[in-house]
Amino acid sequence: MPAPHPSPSATPPRSARGVTSHANKILLLVSSLATLVVLGWAALEENLLRDWRVIQRNYAAALPPDAKASFNPQLRQIIVPALRTTDRCVTCHLGMAPGEQVVPGQRLFAAHPPIPHDPGEFGCVVCHGGQGLASETADAHGTVPHWPEPLVPRRYAQAGCGSCHTHLRVPNLEQLRLGQALLERYDCLACHAVDGRGGTLRPGGAAGLPAPDLTLVGARGYDPGWYAGHLRSHAAAAAGPWRTSFRPIPDDERGALAAFLDSRVGAPQLIEAKALFHSLGCRGCHKVGGVGGDDGPDLTIAGQRDPGQTSFAGVPGERSLAHWFAEHFRNPSAVVAGSQMPAMGLSEEEIDALVLFTFSLRRSPFPEAYWPRDRIRSERFGEREFATDGATLYGTFCAACHGRSGEGMRYPGMTPFPAIANPDFLALASDEFLTAAITRGRPGRRMPAWGVGEGGLRPAEIATLVNWLRKSSGVQPERDPRPPRWVRGERSEGERLYRAACSGCHGPAGEGAEGPALANPVFLSTASDTYLVETIARGRRGTTMEGFTRPSPTRRALASYEIHTIVAFIRTWEAKP
Amino acid sequence: MSTAHPSLPRRSRLDPEPVARRDFLGLAALWSAAAALGFAALGALRLPKAAVLPSPSKKFRVHLPESLAPGEAYVPPGRSVALFKGADGVFAISTVCTHLGCIVKPTPHGFDCPCHGSRFAPDGSVVRGPAPAPLPWLAVTSAGGGSVIVDEGASVPPGTKVAV
Amino acid sequence: MSARSSDDGLARLWANLRAAPRRLRETMFRSGPPVSDRARSSFIFGNVFLHLHPARVHRWSLRWATTWGLGMIALSAFLVTLVTGVLLMFYYKPYPDVAYESIKNIHFVVPTGRFMRNIHRWAAHVMVIAVLAHMARVFFTAAYRRPREFNWLIGMGLLVTTLGLSFSGYLLPWDQLAYWAITIGANIAQSPREITDALGITASFDPGGLQKLLLLGSDEVGEEALIRFYLFHVMLLPLILVALLAVHFWRIRKDGGLARPADAEARLGPPHPATYPVFTEAPQKTYHLAAVVRGRTPAVGNGPEGTVPAMPHLLYGELALFMLTVGICLVLSVLFDAPLKELANPAVPENPAKAPWYFLGLQELVSFSAFMGGIGIPTMVLIGLGLIPYLDREEAGTGEWFGGPGGGALVGRAAVFGLTTAVALEALAIHFGWLRQWWPEVPQLLITAFNPGTVLTAIYAAYSLWLVRRHNSTRAGALGLFTCFLAGFVVLTVIGTYFRGPNWEFYWSPTHWPGH
Repeated sequence: MPAPHPSPSATPPRSARGVTSHANKILLLVSSLATLVVLGWAALEENLLRDWRVIQRNYAAALPPDAKASFNPQLRQIIVPALRTTDRCVTCHLGMAPGEQVVPGQRLFAAHPPIPHDPGEFGCVVCHGGQGLASETADAHGTVPHWPEPLVPRRYAQAGCGSCHTHLRVPNLEQLRLGQALLERYDCLACHAVDGRGGTLRPGGAAGLPAPDLTLVGARGYDPGWYAGHLRSHAAAAAGPWRTSFRPIPDDERGALAAFLDSRVGAPQLIEAKALFHSLGCRGCHKVGGVGGDDGPDLTIAGQRDPGQTSFAGVPGERSLAHWFAEHFRNPSAVVAGSQMPAMGLSEEEIDALVLFTFSLRRSPFPEAYWPRDRIRSERFGEREFATDGATLYGTFCAACHGRSGEGMRYPGMTPFPAIANPDFLALASDEFLTAAITRGRPGRRMPAWGVGEGGLRPAEIATLVNWLRKSSGVQPERDPRPPRWVRGERSEGERLYRAACSGCHGPAGEGAEGPALANPVFLSTASDTYLVETIARGRRGTTMEGFTRPSPTRRALASYEIHTIVAFIRTWEAKP
Repeated sequence: MSTAHPSLPRRSRLDPEPVARRDFLGLAALWSAAAALGFAALGALRLPKAAVLPSPSKKFRVHLPESLAPGEAYVPPGRSVALFKGADGVFAISTVCTHLGCIVKPTPHGFDCPCHGSRFAPDGSVVRGPAPAPLPWLAVTSAGGGSVIVDEGASVPPGTKVAV
Repeated sequence: MSARSSDDGLARLWANLRAAPRRLRETMFRSGPPVSDRARSSFIFGNVFLHLHPARVHRWSLRWATTWGLGMIALSAFLVTLVTGVLLMFYYKPYPDVAYESIKNIHFVVPTGRFMRNIHRWAAHVMVIAVLAHMARVFFTAAYRRPREFNWLIGMGLLVTTLGLSFSGYLLPWDQLAYWAITIGANIAQSPREITDALGITASFDPGGLQKLLLLGSDEVGEEALIRFYLFHVMLLPLILVALLAVHFWRIRKDGGLARPADAEARLGPPHPATYPVFTEAPQKTYHLAAVVRGRTPAVGNGPEGTVPAMPHLLYGELALFMLTVGICLVLSVLFDAPLKELANPAVPENPAKAPWYFLGLQELVSFSAFMGGIGIPTMVLIGLGLIPYLDREEAGTGEWFGGPGGGALVGRAAVFGLTTAVALEALAIHFGWLRQWWPEVPQLLITAFNPGTVLTAIYAAYSLWLVRRHNSTRAGALGLFTCFLAGFVVLTVIGTYFRGPNWEFYWSPTHWPGH
């Protein structure tokens, strides 16, 4: 069936039945043009609209003409292979980029504030957080989903030191302030600069040696014979600053000065925050670096909290970690559902300092060879982050529950914490009793055991604490010639009296309520009969525990044999396993 | 296009007619597709050229040994730099051969390249062999305390010495 | 040579040099410029990249409604992933942690890197969708029938390979999403232990453990697993895919092009004069076949009226679909970044840890029984799909959408049945729980055999048997079964994607998920 030969036609009709290539051509044209447009947009975005390109254009525009000509717009980075560091922050923070100049007046292009480290040596992220690999602002600052470590806010920048450093022997706030006050009282700032203050007057004029800047003296160390040298210069000078500004300093005040100077490591706000931490007794419940109680979560790396794994449901307002931390300190149980941490009634300044401190609880992944001396000394040689004087130890471990000066504490929804500075208590409690109470705690109660295996305190530190309790209260234990156990008494009678007089506060089974728990194995095994008898007889002034040898409006006075029966009854709890 | 194309077979009943050629739509579609693919290929070709190099900073800090004699080379471990200490200061010469990048060996009379026999004088100038240029002198800055910072990435005119 | 002067030689050299560009052009293409239908045909079969095409193609095949271009879109998406994948390999480093950093580098500093990765990711999704849709098209136009049965099986192999490519690519970024999706996937491979444990023979016969070991090279997802997945992703599976593709395309031609109804030419009407077929009155090559065939020679004198030259008609279509796919991938890439979560952390599981969307239907089934959902039911479905061309051997309706008894109406009813059954069963399981919630002591084997997944499969199978009986047609049963499975896949995938939250609990919306 030969086909009829068609007549040639120059142009095919627009739409022809059975000819789909016309439609296909239109589809091809449209998709190709769309592809071209998208590619054009992508090329534009890639080459002109990237954050860092815009920023580098602004930077170049702000440069003087000769520098502008030599400026090369490109990505910049700090690479430290040994630390697995690749930080591209200097792509935008050009004032900190090696070989680039600072543009005055523009914060983005400013130089890094002076610190003991060269950012080129360690990079940026290790201190500041954020995402070093990123080259876009939001990604680099880590305020995007799926980046676990956002930038530490600028005002808490000193928290970055905590990545690598463990500051040693930081005293409590009171002593830190004392050292600071002494520095001013003894006019040290006349010659020396500390943390950017003072150092205006230099002895010897232009010819003499300038007085050293003490800002980093805690990290760099100083001449141990400085005081003798100062004394000699003072004695030798007839007039001038050596005579007018310097005068002899008593021994104990030199100690407080030394504690203050030891803490001058270039991070004064962080040290202040740590001192606050060592005054609030947070370690009573929280462990940091293996030392502290177990009631709350371990805080060793609490500053590395992943915002993606954090619920902001209870935090109105800004969705940032700093805000979360602050809200948490204001009202813990509102932020973390089920948290048992009481609201501590902190001031806004204290909360701000604690936020800084919390951010500082981080650990860089640097290999140990790069650890600074202080961390090695802390983690390998067991040196303490807190000063080990009694006041700081008390502030670090005890103050949250027993009050800042041992007056006891009441938090809503919790049984009251005993006032351990009570003179009646300290007079009856022997040093052994106190040491055992601290070392072994009160099992089943809030008071944890603080021994080396549990809370992490060493025997010498516990002894320091006991001594400090004695010294600060001025109460020494009464001599007790009797053996620990001497009481004889009718237990059933004792039980009757206990139910009538004691169980209201101490619980029907001695389990404790308003008053402390008596049926506690550590308590019963360490408390002597004399302690129990005398406590019942004399009571505790300033608390609801009255002396029972005196009558009150609601009951008669107890006779001494009756008190003995009560003690005998209390002792029956000890027998139970 | 000419219909008298030499490679075109002779018109026969097997080729009843040439196809219509004034197909603007088809040509526009084909050329725009070609342009799009070409543009995409250009973009793709940009990818292999790295925007940032993964190599670390070429600057390093080194402490010169006290016992270093004048004229004696000190090569810090892991670096391709020879440091010299003279009476008038410290200088650094790169030990990367300017021929094909082998590491030259400092000798008492200069530097020898093990790969193709280039020899350099103690000041880095070429004595013999295929090396096209003298060994560059590198920027040295004093870091205090007897140590210096050497920048392998920055060369300075030969003869530049830095007092430490 | 001696007769000519050396000047002649140089002149000829000069002339040859000047002719070189023209000669290069002429030698590059075996035929001349495509100015006639014949030259165009020889352009096709003289070109190694195009020679899989027929010289002429049936007009029915070129109708958009015949294929909707789905196979070509799938191929185009594959080509796009191939090119972008090779480019990504310039920077990708298959080692844990370093892998994550290299992806970050690709995202942040490699020129066009983020764009290429986005294209790669979205083209992979386009490919999966296109492959699934292509399969549905082939099924619903009954194009799997004789002589194309085996190509249907090749196509299933391509589907499995495509899913394998997507899955193996999922681990490479080494982020949380990747790590936990692969952990789940590897444990699905291990799920035959559900049976062997219940029978107490795992110690001596442990195919599940072997599968996981082969997949991961270790007992957990680590560097061994990463290098294996990298190998699968960039070498093994692409090779398999390309080999299967070659067979797939070759079989299309050998099986006589695309399926079309017997009356296709009558329905298309007379072709346009400009594309009027060239019928040769003096056929030359056709007779060569006579040397190898027995029986009657091919019908001489019967002109190929229904066909048009593949070039340009088919090539325009293919090129248009390719550019369409490229355009879609590019638009997606400009609009959306490919996901990348935080660095993989083996200590903190993602909650919910979700596989890529096309596996979320499986993940839904897995939440009832790991073995049945991950291996049993998929195997049954694959066997069922593979059997379809061999069980349905009717002729009516080939090449037509929803061809067969009842056609579109039957498919519609089956779709409604499939959707409602799946939704009802899911609702039952979500609202009332399943055996274990009712009788905590129920043996595992019973749950493995009797769970919402297996029940759904059984209902679908029974429904399609009933259709076979009712319509007295195997095609009716095939239509019902395929439609039901498609409906079930859609329901399970949608539930798995949008309605499952932490701990695989049911939530109406992700906004109701509890905070971490």
